[in-house]
Amino acid sequence: MKNVLKRTDVLEAAEDLRRRTLASITRPLDRLIYLASTRDYNTGFYYHDGLAARYPEEAVCEALADCHREAFQELVGASLEQLIGQMNSYMISSRTAPSDFIATWKKLEPYRVAVPLDTDELTGEFLFSNFKIALAILEARLHTPQPAVPDAWQPQLPGR
Amino acid sequence: MMELFLFVIFAVVFLASIYLFVRPRARVEGSALDVLRAREDLSVLQSGLLPAEIVERIFAKADYEFLLAESTKEVQELFLAERKRLALLWAGYLLQRIRNLQQFHLGSARFYSRLRLGTEIRLASEFFSLLWFCRALQFVIYLRGPYAAPRMAGRVAAAAATVCATSEEVMNFLKPAQAGGLAKESARKLSVM
Repeated sequence: MKNVLKRTDVLEAAEDLRRRTLASITRPLDRLIYLASTRDYNTGFYYHDGLAARYPEEAVCEALADCHREAFQELVGASLEQLIGQMNSYMISSRTAPSDFIATWKKLEPYRVAVPLDTDELTGEFLFSNFKIALAILEARLHTPQPAVPDAWQPQLPGR
Repeated sequence: MMELFLFVIFAVVFLASIYLFVRPRARVEGSALDVLRAREDLSVLQSGLLPAEIVERIFAKADYEFLLAESTKEVQELFLAERKRLALLWAGYLLQRIRNLQQFHLGSARFYSRLRLGTEIRLASEFFSLLWFCRALQFVIYLRGPYAAPRMAGRVAAAAATVCATSEEVMNFLKPAQAGGLAKESARKLSVM
């Protein structure tokens, strides 16, 4: 009986989280990174002050873990094209220079610590591999010269 | 003199092989731990390695077709190298888990399940053909890349699912309530020995 009650708590906390916090984070990549950031690196437990005020700490932790797994599965199921789109939007929203963002992500591979704890190795490797390719594509796009657009606004110099 | 030397070497190798084959095992065969490990192998196979979503994603061409239209040659090469690595990783994990299950059935399963000869032969032939297919698939992927044999990958996954189903059928004696019983039985065997 206690388990059933606890599970109900978890479901309610997860629903609350989806309705309030996650509703404004539309992209699975952003959700994955946000939810990973609520996890303690040392213990693997998730914390959320707002939810903890309404639900037991254990239920909050499990609800956050459930939502984290959901975001991860969504991202694994996304095509490469969709993942590139999400990364591009995330990069723009971070307000970092694209070249800096790509260089940092290539070097630190932050996505490796953003996956749920119980991720199986193959699925994790699949997503990491897609991130690596997506970064390579974004980098290639950065170095591809954009088609020349005539500068119509530029004033004509006298004598030309 | 040379013939005698060769004969002695041959005799030593022969005796060593016989010893390795018949030597007493350190652990008790058929222990509850073996059954639990086999259960874990089965679970990893069924939920982590064989679901169609992950197999299809690794071997599907949709992402590659997108890249062909979208990106540079270097990125395409990186993509193919990454997919080849993943495909080999998948086949490697599959091979490892199937081998573990085979070892379990060779060593421990018969202790508890009292298999019928027909089931044993069927399982042995399924394991044999699956392991052979798996190695062949690894070889083809290694030589010709991830998209060389998508049908073969599908057949390997289907064959592995069949082996898992048979193996599960054989292991259906393992229920949570019985796990303690198996442990007790193993303990009793240990105390007798």
